[in-house]
Amino acid sequence: MTAPDPDRLTDLGKRLDEAQQRQAAGAKRPPPSQAGIAGRFATELVAALVVGGGLGWCIDWLCGHFGFHTRPVFLIVFFVLGAAAGIRNVMRAAAEINAEIAAKSASKPEEK
Amino acid sequence: MAMNPMEQFAIKPLIAEPVLHIAGHPIYFTNQALLMIIVAVVSSLFLSLAVKPNRLVPNRTQSMAELSYEFVANMIHSATGEDGLKFFPFVFTLFIFVLCSNFFGMVPGSFTVTSQIAVTLALACLVIGLVIVTGFMKHGIGFLKLFVPHAPWYLLVLLIPIEVISFLTRPISLSVRLFANMLAGHTMLAVFAGFVVSLGAAGGIYMGVALAPLLLIVAIMLLELLVAFLQAYVFAILTCIYLNEALHLHDHH
Repeated sequence: MTAPDPDRLTDLGKRLDEAQQRQAAGAKRPPPSQAGIAGRFATELVAALVVGGGLGWCIDWLCGHFGFHTRPVFLIVFFVLGAAAGIRNVMRAAAEINAEIAAKSASKPEEK
Repeated sequence: MAMNPMEQFAIKPLIAEPVLHIAGHPIYFTNQALLMIIVAVVSSLFLSLAVKPNRLVPNRTQSMAELSYEFVANMIHSATGEDGLKFFPFVFTLFIFVLCSNFFGMVPGSFTVTSQIAVTLALACLVIGLVIVTGFMKHGIGFLKLFVPHAPWYLLVLLIPIEVISFLTRPISLSVRLFANMLAGHTMLAVFAGFVVSLGAAGGIYMGVALAPLLLIVAIMLLELLVAFLQAYVFAILTCIYLNEALHLHDHH
């Protein structure tokens, strides 16, 4: 049995450290799949429309309850606001995903 | 043979008599309640027994418990920073509950708790409720600044309702994402299983064709295991992101 070469040992140590760092960076977040991103955007958009429309409908119902006949006005207004909120949500989700991808590619530049 | 792929999601009372009455409504002990109890008991027993021997060099069971602990702790730390760690028990319980519900649902013949919107919406409302309570406790009335973006005043008239709606969307999108993923996956499995049964019943050459959906089920099953984990992860990480916003207002701007 030959004595281990110190150069090879330090080299191995370095490679182990690198591999560990890579694993730590990768293990934190599973990669966002294309279908996952699409599903996320769709739910964000639709949920905002539903919440907006529902809120408007509720306000209309409440107004009608107190004798003001505002029915479809608030429904329409809040539906449009809901659409805007949905787009805001999607933009926010896109920014989060971008930040995630940027953080990942920054942590392992050798793959670029 | 008539097969209904949605039949697996039916909630049936296991005991014919109502267990108790709340405000005149009968409360039954259903298959859903049973599965939730099984999930809660099995996961807490497993985690507490796994770390009981407290070995310095963990065996497989203990490392599973320790790895899940570290995984969630890292997740909270990276999403909310140091002061988010006091929510560790909440996020960990939530993550383990959703994860175990998803995995128990993968056992053929069992019931998927997270495929019921009632369950996921209740969990999501719990999360948003905690976010609101935390925000008001930490910042007082200043928490409402979350709804006021940096913009000139005439735009705020429009932007504040949009931000409020956007905030109210969160429990919906959080719960619908988990529920829809589980529902879609399990329906797909049942549909393909139905193909196998009908092709097999047709006999002759169709028996050979039945092999194709059977193999596909195996592949979908593996995919569903990934989805089961991923959706539990997404639920937990979004909880962390929302808690982070309540803890550090507008830090992300």
